[in-house]
Amino acid sequence: MGPFDGGSSSSSSGSCAGKSPEIDGLLAGAGYKVRSSELSQVAQRLERLENVMVNASNEISQVASDVVHYNPSDLANWVDSMLAELTHPQYPPSDLQNFPHHDSWTDQIGNQQNQNLNHNQQLTMVSTMMDEEDSGIRLVHMLMSCAELMQRGDFSLVASMIQEMQVLLIRVNTRCGIGKVAGYFIDALSRRLFSPSSAVCGSDSALENEILYHNFYEACPYLKFAHFTANQAILEAFNGYDFVHVIDFNLMHGLQWPALIQALALRPGGPPLLRLTGIGPPSPDGRDTLREIGLRLAELARSVNVRFVFRGVVASRLEDVKPWMLQVHSKEAVAINSIMQLHKLLYMDPGRASAMDTVLSWIRSLNPRIITVVEQEADHNQPEFLDRFTEALYYYSTMFDSLEACGLQPEKSLAEIYIQREICNVLCCEGSSRVERHEPLIKWRTRLSESGFKPVHLGSNAFKQASMLLTLFSAEGYCVEEKEGCLTLGWHSRPLIAASAWQAVPDEPTRKRDREGDLSI
Amino acid sequence: MEDNRGKKKLPGPKFCINDHVDILVEILKRLDGDTLAVAACVCQLWHSITRHDSLWENLCFRHVPSPPPSGIKPVVLALGGYKRLYMLCLRPVLNRLSRFGLRDRVDHVQLTLSLFCVDCYERLGGGGGKLGESSASSSSSSLILQQIFVLGPIQ
Repeated sequence: MGPFDGGSSSSSSGSCAGKSPEIDGLLAGAGYKVRSSELSQVAQRLERLENVMVNASNEISQVASDVVHYNPSDLANWVDSMLAELTHPQYPPSDLQNFPHHDSWTDQIGNQQNQNLNHNQQLTMVSTMMDEEDSGIRLVHMLMSCAELMQRGDFSLVASMIQEMQVLLIRVNTRCGIGKVAGYFIDALSRRLFSPSSAVCGSDSALENEILYHNFYEACPYLKFAHFTANQAILEAFNGYDFVHVIDFNLMHGLQWPALIQALALRPGGPPLLRLTGIGPPSPDGRDTLREIGLRLAELARSVNVRFVFRGVVASRLEDVKPWMLQVHSKEAVAINSIMQLHKLLYMDPGRASAMDTVLSWIRSLNPRIITVVEQEADHNQPEFLDRFTEALYYYSTMFDSLEACGLQPEKSLAEIYIQREICNVLCCEGSSRVERHEPLIKWRTRLSESGFKPVHLGSNAFKQASMLLTLFSAEGYCVEEKEGCLTLGWHSRPLIAASAWQAVPDEPTRKRDREGDLSI
Repeated sequence: MEDNRGKKKLPGPKFCINDHVDILVEILKRLDGDTLAVAACVCQLWHSITRHDSLWENLCFRHVPSPPPSGIKPVVLALGGYKRLYMLCLRPVLNRLSRFGLRDRVDHVQLTLSLFCVDCYERLGGGGGKLGESSASSSSSSLILQQIFVLGPIQ
């Protein structure tokens, strides 16, 4: 190829004086100088280059970091130089004799130079992106195969696959998307493999759990949705009663209750006397957290003139709670509030009575006006590991996706740790230590209906409130759906959390109108 | 012109609104939030008047389709006052709703009050602020509203 003139061809007017008449006019208009006689050869070489680039994904990063960029407007030479570079990666780029137009390129200034760089970078970027996407998909396939191996008990293969996946993980962007989720799942798999008996992710510290829970509350709307929807159902159920009693199965910081206190303060006819019984785990450092939360709630209630009585019940497991501890009075309307607690009762210890049956029966004995149940909408209690793994992968990918919309730090990172602990429990733990036994709404319906409860429709007010809550929240992907009287909140049409309300069906055909306060245990 | 002919020129000071605080209050009561904030910068008198919660009370429920529940005043005052309710909760909520064209149609009062109550609870220290978190994350409600501000898509 003969030397081309150094004159710029990027401007439409002006320096066309030095142009050779053999240059293809159409390509010249696009900024590329190719001789018409060489068009087919250049085209063939471009095809070759494309094949090489797609197949030789490793070498491309070298080209990207290479300081010397070849002038792509000189298309023929550019193609040759790229092919040479890629097929012989150790070819010294500083050897200028094969790139005679390097000088002319460095002589050019201004837009032309930037255009060339952008073009090269863009090409590299596209290849890197394709590379990343492929890696992401490969990671998912590998995760599934690894889970299957884990289920079959082929542990040495699992170990080597984990290593491979960790290598592949380097290529993928782990700050978001599939890379991040894959990272957590690979971690869970290796925990399951290497420390099955002590596979508690993170510590059991109640304080840590509370902090993580709080950040999960801040970072995404799931818990707020749960609180507001449950409160609406409770408020409606308490209509007309002057003495009301709420039993919260997991008090945490009591963030659900200020809104209910305020709504009761403003209800037409004046507020009732509100009793709140909060159940919570023991705090190791001797602090009476339940009492502190109760005091704050009481202060709030006092300021808005709602008569308020708080009682804390310390229990590390829900099945340890006995109904007499709750001190339900006969004339009061009782509401039971369970935000993501019922699934923890699903472990069936073969030697003992079912925890779920025990708790459900004493719930019924209290004759509550309403029972609000919020649960994760996922099937994470399947006996086969692979099924659980697959379901968890889809569920938590969606959840992490929705978390991307949150911009608050450190809330977002701490919320991720909270979710990560859930993932670890679902995948790594077995037996009584696996408490995160999520089941979908359909199964809860069946279970509760068979245990003597009937569903209560959540009503349009709850739906409107939930929709407005979402309107106030930024991300566009959240959606509220109503399904047979229950509300679900999801991300892009995948429901992630479901809220429902229930009432106990009176069991004897000869019904008593008012049950006495005596409770048989 | 006619008026000038037989008219005596009035001696003494011209009409000054600051001498008639009741009229001033009536006018300020009808302003919107941003203008009220601007008005607070005019002079000492206007500044002290705009700090009265009653001015903000009018502002808060002006655009609501249905009247606010009765008995709301002591509750709002107990939770922090109308000015705080407006600045912290109502203003971002209204901004957000007007982006979606829902401002006058949807009854956001109950939800706003609930958010305000959560905020008050947080300030009492009830939201876990004392558990060693950074001060930036100690108020759940204000963070909800920060999200409204910062992350909302422009429609």
